[in-house]
Amino acid sequence: MKLYRRSLWVFHLNSGSCNGCDIEILNALAPRQDAERLGVKLVGSPRHADAILFTGPVTREALPSVVRAIQAVPEPKIVLAVGACACGGGIWHDSYCVLGGIQGLYRVLKSMGVAPPKTIYVPGCPPKPEAIIHGIMLARGLAGQRQARSEYFEEQGPAVKAEEDLHRLFHKCFPGRLPPKTARVEWGVTRY
Amino acid sequence: MNRIKVLLENLRRGVVTEQYPFKPIRVPERLRGKPVIDPDKCAGCGACVNACPPNALTMRDDKHSSMRFIVLFIGRCIYCGKCEEACPFGAIRLTREFELAAENREDLYQVVGLRLYHCPLCGEPFTTVRLIKRVVEALPEEQRAAATLCPRCRESVTAHYRSYARR
Repeated sequence: MKLYRRSLWVFHLNSGSCNGCDIEILNALAPRQDAERLGVKLVGSPRHADAILFTGPVTREALPSVVRAIQAVPEPKIVLAVGACACGGGIWHDSYCVLGGIQGLYRVLKSMGVAPPKTIYVPGCPPKPEAIIHGIMLARGLAGQRQARSEYFEEQGPAVKAEEDLHRLFHKCFPGRLPPKTARVEWGVTRY
Repeated sequence: MNRIKVLLENLRRGVVTEQYPFKPIRVPERLRGKPVIDPDKCAGCGACVNACPPNALTMRDDKHSSMRFIVLFIGRCIYCGKCEEACPFGAIRLTREFELAAENREDLYQVVGLRLYHCPLCGEPFTTVRLIKRVVEALPEEQRAAATLCPRCRESVTAHYRSYARR
């Protein structure tokens, strides 16, 4: 993906995060992992920004301001969901007072008739500054994506055979003499 | 005078900026990064699902396909490492990988599907074939057959045999 050929100006938007991710974002911009050498500049207003560095699980109190800030960013825009809270709600995902990360926010935006912007997920709790820089490089098209979905499904043949073996073991040790199928232990008494 | 001192200090120190995206960084030895499930070792017991504080690991039994799905959503993981401690088979492990940025939410999932085991008496699925197989192998000879039953049927069968013993 090559969304931005030139410098990416970012607006840092905190939607009720614990400040862990915010500190890592500042670390990424500080001299040691100097993100400014990649053209990343922190701007004070969403109107000047190309991208939003989005942190936090979107608390209900923060929602109106967050929606206003996202709408203020000119198109084409991109959202970097930084941290576990922004990516999937994090530790607060089922709490009553949050929307559960950026998916909940996009649900609200959809109900308002606003198309959700292109998003890059940067998981981590908090992500290392290098991980944030990797996300920015992914948005710029300068780095490839390393994370991929992995799926594994057990084969049916050997599993069914093992299950039959276990059933055979049971029927060998308990031949006949089984309680009728209606037998159930209720209140500690066996009833037939 | 003080400024000159600072200048000299900075000149002595040189450049502190790391060349990260162009050169790899030195990752700490014990960094807790991306959790990975080894599907060959996993038995689908659900110990990691119980231990996971943010429910990044979830478990779902599908009776139609008779599969149990252990789903790991890395986007919600807080890298506490409790799953690694809880896993009795050493199947889930936290790697040192940290570059997890992804364009799609689907890329952040790991799915492990295992076959469900059905009770030989009532036919209800209650756990995975792999787990029962490992439990049976670990038990002494005389206890093996009872371990192949679901907890409810095992209760009724053992009660039945106890009632025979009393007579």
